[in-house]
Amino acid sequence: MSEDSLVVKTKLGEYVIPKNLRYTKTDEWVRIEGNTVTFGITDYAQKKLKYVVNVELPDVGSQAKKGEALVTLESVKSVADAYSPVDGEVIEVNEELYDSPDLINKDPYGRGWLVKIRAESVNPEDFLSPEDYANLIKSKES
Amino acid sequence: MRETPLLSTLRELGANIGEFAGWLTAMDYGNPLDEHMAARTSVAVFDVSHMGRYVIRGENLFEFFQRLLAKDLKKFREGRMSGPALMLNERGGIKDDVMLYYISDDEWMAVVNAPNIESDREWMLRWAREWGYRISVEDVTLKTALIAVQGPEAPKVLRGLGIEGFEDLKILEFIRTPKVLDGKAILVSRSGWTGEEVRTHGFEIMADASLASKIFRKCVELGAKPAGLIARDSLRLEMGYVLIGEDISEDTNPIEARYWMGLSLKKDDFIGRDAVLRAYREGVRRFRYGLRLKKGERRIPRHGTKVLVDGVEVGEVTSGAYSPYLRRSIGMAYIKPEYAYVGFKASVEIRGRVLEAKILDFPLI
Repeated sequence: MSEDSLVVKTKLGEYVIPKNLRYTKTDEWVRIEGNTVTFGITDYAQKKLKYVVNVELPDVGSQAKKGEALVTLESVKSVADAYSPVDGEVIEVNEELYDSPDLINKDPYGRGWLVKIRAESVNPEDFLSPEDYANLIKSKES
Repeated sequence: MRETPLLSTLRELGANIGEFAGWLTAMDYGNPLDEHMAARTSVAVFDVSHMGRYVIRGENLFEFFQRLLAKDLKKFREGRMSGPALMLNERGGIKDDVMLYYISDDEWMAVVNAPNIESDREWMLRWAREWGYRISVEDVTLKTALIAVQGPEAPKVLRGLGIEGFEDLKILEFIRTPKVLDGKAILVSRSGWTGEEVRTHGFEIMADASLASKIFRKCVELGAKPAGLIARDSLRLEMGYVLIGEDISEDTNPIEARYWMGLSLKKDDFIGRDAVLRAYREGVRRFRYGLRLKKGERRIPRHGTKVLVDGVEVGEVTSGAYSPYLRRSIGMAYIKPEYAYVGFKASVEIRGRVLEAKILDFPLI
């Protein structure tokens, strides 16, 4: 894990940041494959949110707009939105989360993914690198 | 920010650390729903060291607290805890609910809520001065720790810790300076905040910080599931216990909160009595009740969520949680008396959706 990921340690916890993904300032991770964008929330985000008990996902075929709330995540402590990282069409949602919303906690970068979008256009440079995202977390918790 | 003296132990046991009332402590250990169920069906261990602890010494402690607190202490004896006792302001609003421990005639202990560690002490000293009682209140919060072992299998854990005589404890009784592992704790009590009276056995162990770390680890070795404040919150909500700052405050009177166990209207004199009696005689504008959503509902009513009857707003939620025991969301709300239709399916509005919510009395389980 450590070779493929950065680990940020703060007073409050340890947060894993895989090196092969890109990140948003609002704590989503993004995987870009051609014009397909898969996203979820980061390890940092799931640890802040706490144990997730309910997820509201968009309809397949609906339009996503960059920066708009697309997914509502409800944890034992609070409610948070996850924002669409791109403009495009929702082509798949992670239906496994309806029965097991805690996959977001157990495996945020894997089985806890949220939505796949066919992006109108996508540029990896529009997102934070793992190093920049690590610095962002450090600055939030210093 | 304060840290529980057990913080490094909790972290080694896999705690997700978070902040509560200015303290860093364990929020959960990965799955607060499992932790909740352990306290209901087997045994869980909580660090509750964020609660304030005082040693109170002086003459006429009984007389002083009888005037200060709204609960009648006349049955309070050596080796017993008072049960939650309300400390009111002059307007009858709730400053805190405190637990007293009767150690001897001139030495008591108190456990108070985390947000009030400084202010409760000041309040006690202020009234002692005003009334002329010679009383000292020593804050021992940072020197000591408090561990709650909760659940039907808690006795097994206490036996494993080598504690003698705990089987004979009745609810709200304690043993002074029991031997625990290779040391002596401050006290062991039959108590908790999870519903131990009706569902489970609960014990709390107060000890110096270094011994407490060993005790906590040993509890886990003996099969207790480490549990955090999130599980503690959903457990107390099932029972209808109030959380200071969320469900009660200086602007809440004990009549509307229906906080009967902390209050005695028959007592001659205590701070806030006139205001409470006025509320009692004239009636109040809201009452505290429980809410139970439909089975399988995971959307949680939260502080500020509206309660509706026939589309009309009749109340407001002060706490909510997902109950893994009931497999649905639950809540606590203040509802206008004329709409407090216990047993009736009212509704709550969560993010624009109107969801069925039955109005119930506590406990909800």
